[in-house]
Amino acid sequence: MAREQRIKVTVNGQGHDKVVPVRLSLADFIREHLHLTGTHLGCEHGVCGACTVSMNGRSVRACLTLAVQADGAEIVTIEGLRQADGTRHPLQQAFHENFALQCGYCTPGMLITALELLRDNPNPSEQEVREALSGNLCRCTGYQAIVDAVMDAARRMQPAAT
Amino acid sequence: MSDTRFVNLRAVGSPVLPDEAIPLVEGEGRFLNDIRLPGMYHVAFLRSQHAHARLRSVDVRRARELPGVVKVLTGKDLLGQVEPFRSMPNRFSGGESVQHWLAVDKVRFCGEAICAVVAEDRATAEDALELFEVDYEPLAAVTDPRLGERDDAPLIHDSCPNNYLIKREYARGDVDDAFRNAHLVVKRDFRIGRKQALCLESRGCVAAYRESTFVLTLWISHQLPYVVRHYLAKHLHLPENEVRVIAPHTGGGFGQKASVYPEEFVCAYLALGLRRPVKWVEDRLENMVASTHARDQYIEVSVAVDRDGRILGLSSDVWVDVGAYSTYLWSAGMEPLQTAGLMPGPYRVPAMRYRTRGVATNKTPVGPYRAVGRPSASASLELLLDEVARRLDLDPVELRRRNLIPNEAMPYRNANNLMHDNVNYVPCLNLSLAKAGYERLRAEQRAAAASGKLRGIGVVCFAELTGLGTSTAVGPGTLLQPGRDAVTLRLETSGVLTIAAALPSQGQRIMTAMRQVASDELGIKLSDIVGLTNDTATAPYGFGTFASRTAVFGSGAVIQAAKELRRRMLALGAHFLQVPADELTIVDSIIQTLDRSKRLPIREMAEKSYFSAKDIPPELNPGFEVTAFYDPKFGSFAAGAHVAVVDVDPQTGGVSILRYVATEDVGTVINPAVVEGQIIGGIAQGIGEVLMEELVYDDTGQPRTVTLADYIVPSALEIPRIELHHANTPSAALGGFKGCGEGSIIGAVGAVACAIADALSRRGGDIRAFPATPERVLRGLGVLPAEV
Repeated sequence: MAREQRIKVTVNGQGHDKVVPVRLSLADFIREHLHLTGTHLGCEHGVCGACTVSMNGRSVRACLTLAVQADGAEIVTIEGLRQADGTRHPLQQAFHENFALQCGYCTPGMLITALELLRDNPNPSEQEVREALSGNLCRCTGYQAIVDAVMDAARRMQPAAT
Repeated sequence: MSDTRFVNLRAVGSPVLPDEAIPLVEGEGRFLNDIRLPGMYHVAFLRSQHAHARLRSVDVRRARELPGVVKVLTGKDLLGQVEPFRSMPNRFSGGESVQHWLAVDKVRFCGEAICAVVAEDRATAEDALELFEVDYEPLAAVTDPRLGERDDAPLIHDSCPNNYLIKREYARGDVDDAFRNAHLVVKRDFRIGRKQALCLESRGCVAAYRESTFVLTLWISHQLPYVVRHYLAKHLHLPENEVRVIAPHTGGGFGQKASVYPEEFVCAYLALGLRRPVKWVEDRLENMVASTHARDQYIEVSVAVDRDGRILGLSSDVWVDVGAYSTYLWSAGMEPLQTAGLMPGPYRVPAMRYRTRGVATNKTPVGPYRAVGRPSASASLELLLDEVARRLDLDPVELRRRNLIPNEAMPYRNANNLMHDNVNYVPCLNLSLAKAGYERLRAEQRAAAASGKLRGIGVVCFAELTGLGTSTAVGPGTLLQPGRDAVTLRLETSGVLTIAAALPSQGQRIMTAMRQVASDELGIKLSDIVGLTNDTATAPYGFGTFASRTAVFGSGAVIQAAKELRRRMLALGAHFLQVPADELTIVDSIIQTLDRSKRLPIREMAEKSYFSAKDIPPELNPGFEVTAFYDPKFGSFAAGAHVAVVDVDPQTGGVSILRYVATEDVGTVINPAVVEGQIIGGIAQGIGEVLMEELVYDDTGQPRTVTLADYIVPSALEIPRIELHHANTPSAALGGFKGCGEGSIIGAVGAVACAIADALSRRGGDIRAFPATPERVLRGLGVLPAEV
C-alpha cells in the first residue's frame, strides 16, 4: 500500500489539497498540517471526546479518523465557529457567560458536539443535553455549567419571534 | 454581563466574566502541545513492561539505526551527568529511595522509563521503541502494603527496610483512658482504591537551548513553574538565572502536575546536549502509568464515645500503598500523614493516636491529588459515626451536632494540634439540612422502603485546611514548606495596571480574582487591569497553585502591594492637583477630590510620571512598580456540609444520586461563579472517586486499567444537578479569603459513601471498600459473596 496519499478537504470553509501519510490521523492533520490547534487530543482512542470535529455535519472523533478518510469532506473545527461578522458563535458566547469552562481542554469537543445537537434538536431538555454530551468528558466543571450553557445557547439561537 | 456593570461597586463578590477564558472558548488557547519551534525534535520513552525486574541488558543498536532517530539515551548515560531524585529526608522518613531519571540496573514499576529516543518526528520516535531489546530478569513484586511491610517481603529499595518510605506514630491526650471509659467503641476497616487525577491534557514539555537570553527554557504543563526552575537548575548543575520555566495553558492539574517527574528533566538534558529544541507529550497510556497516582489506603479506625455519642478518642492504623518511589518534592508522606493526621476534620476529638505508614510497592508512585488524604479520612470517620448513631439509636445528624466544633468554642485546638477559628461548621450543617428538607427526606426514605426501594441518605461535615502560611506545615513531615508568594503590580505608561504573579491557573481564574481584588484596592477599572502570569522571566517568585492556596496568597500579595502603589499614586496625584493626598480618592481609574471638583485620570498621571519626569520632584516619583510578598502565617479552615440521597438497585448494584445539596464556607468570595465552578467540579470528581474510579493491578504488578475505557470517570449522565449554598465567614487572612479548590471533593466522597451504606443498612448490609462499584454493592447486600 502507498505510504502517502493525496486528499482534498475543506476545513472551516477553506479548501486544502495535500499529500499526507496514510497513517496520519485527522486530528494530527488538522493540528500539525493545518496548524489549527484548537482541536485537542485527550486520549487518542475515542473515549474522551476532546478531539471531536464536525465532518459532513456529523460529530466525529478526529483521533479515530484517518486524514485519508476525510478526502472530499467538509470539516468544521472550533476555529470555524466564529460568525461571518467576526463575533463569537452563540454557543461560544453562552459557554463564556455561563462559566462553562475551566481549563478549557474539553471545550472544543463540547462545542462541536453541542452544535450538532442544537441543529438536530433546537429545544433540548436538560436530560437530552446530558445524553448528547455524555461522550465528552470534562474533568473540571461537573458538567452543570456546560449543560446550562447549551440550554442558554439554544434559547439564543431561536429564530426571533415575528 | 460585562465588566462595566460593576463600576463603582466592589468587584470582589461579583461574578466578573473572566477575560482569560476568551481564547479558550475561541479555540485559541495555547497548550503545551500547541507549541512548535523551528528545528524541534520529538522524544518518546521506552517503558518497563515489568513491575519489578533486574535489567540484564538493554540493546539499543537497532533503535539507534532507524532513519530519523537522532539519539538514544539510557540510564547509564545519565550516571554522573545529572542528580537523580532522592526522597527528601525528613523526621518521619523510612529508608531512602533513589529514582534515576531513566532506570539503571532495575525497574520498580510497570511504565518506568528506561530509555529516551529523540527523532525527527514523533511517529519515528515511537517506531524506534519497537526496536529495543530489553533482557529483564523478573523479580517477585510487592503489590499490597500490608504484605510489603513484612520481614519476608521482597525489598524494592535495598536502603528501605520493610519497604517503609515513611512511618509515623502519633498520640495526644489519654487515648487508653478514653477507650477504657467509653460507653461504646466502634471499629471498622476501610479500603479506598487507587485513583488518577486524569487531567484531560496529559503532561508534556518543550525544552529549548538558548531561546531568548536563557540557556535553558522549559515550557511545561505544570502548576509550579518556579519550583520546577529551582530543581531543574539544581539537578542539571545550571545557574538558576539561566533557566526560564513557562507554564502555558494547562488542561487540568489537580495535583498531578505539582510534582517533579523524570521525563521533563530528561528532555531538558537532551535539549542542552543536542542544542536543539525537543518536545515530549505524554500519551494517555503513558499518563495512566507514568503520572502519579493517589489515595490507595487501608484504614483501620476505632472511635470511643460516651453515652451521648460524644467522641472521647480516635485511634487509627493506616497503610498507604505509595508505589515504587517517594514522589519527588512532596515525598511519600502526603497520603499517609494527611489521611491519619487530618481524620478528626471538623469534630472535637480530645484524644487521638495513629500509626501510619507509606509502604513502597511495585506500582506507580503516589503523589498529590485534589485534597490529598482527606477524602478517604473523612469518609472513614463519617461512615464510623453513622455506625455509632445506629448503635446508639441516634439520628446521625444529631450525633454530628454533638461533636462538631461550635463557633462559640473557637479558637479551638484539636487533638491533631490544629487550630480552628472563623469556621462555620454548624451553620453549614444547618443550612444544608434546611435546604435539603432533611425530615422530609427521611420520611420519603421510609415510604420508599415500604415500596421495596433501597434509598439512603448521607449527611457529612468536613474541614479543609487551606492557604497554609509559614507557620503551618503543608503536610507534617514534608520538607517543601511553601508559605509566601509574591505579586508585582506595575502601572504602565498607558495607565493600565499589570499584575504579574507565578500563580498559574488550570481553570481557577486566578488572574480574574486578582484583578478584582486590585480593582477594589486601587480604584482602577477592571478593564484597565491585565494579568501576566506563569512565566519565571516575567513574574516575581511564587510557589504556584495547589492546596487551595492561590486565591489566599495571590490576593493577599495584591492587597499588600496595592497599599504602597496607592500611596504613591495619591502622592503624585496630590502634586499635580495641588490638593493634600488625604483629600483624594481613586474611582474608575481617576484620581479625584471627594467632591469630584478636581480630577486626574490615572492614564495621564502615569504617562507624565515616565515621560515628563523632569517636571516632578524625584521623591514624589519613585516609579509605579511594587512587589510584595504575602505570608498568611497560619492556614485557615474552609468547611462544608453535604447531603446526598441515593437509590441503590438491589438487582444490579447500581447507585443513582437523586439529590445533592451542599453548603460551603470558603471565606470571603471573590468571584461567586468561579467559586461555584470549583465546588461543583470538586463534587463531581468526588462522585467519580466514590462510585467508579479505581486503578486496578494484578498481583504481579501489571496495571489493568490503562485506558479511559478501563478507568471510568463520570460523564454528564452520572453527575446530578448540585444544589449549592453558602455559609461563608471571613478567615483571618488578608481579605478574609480561604480557598475553595479542594474542599468539596472531601464532602462528596463521604456523603455518597454514607448514603450507600445507609441504604444497604436497611437490609442489614454494609460496605467498607470503595469505589462502590455495582459488584461491591452486591457483595455488601449479600447477593454476592464477601470479598476475601
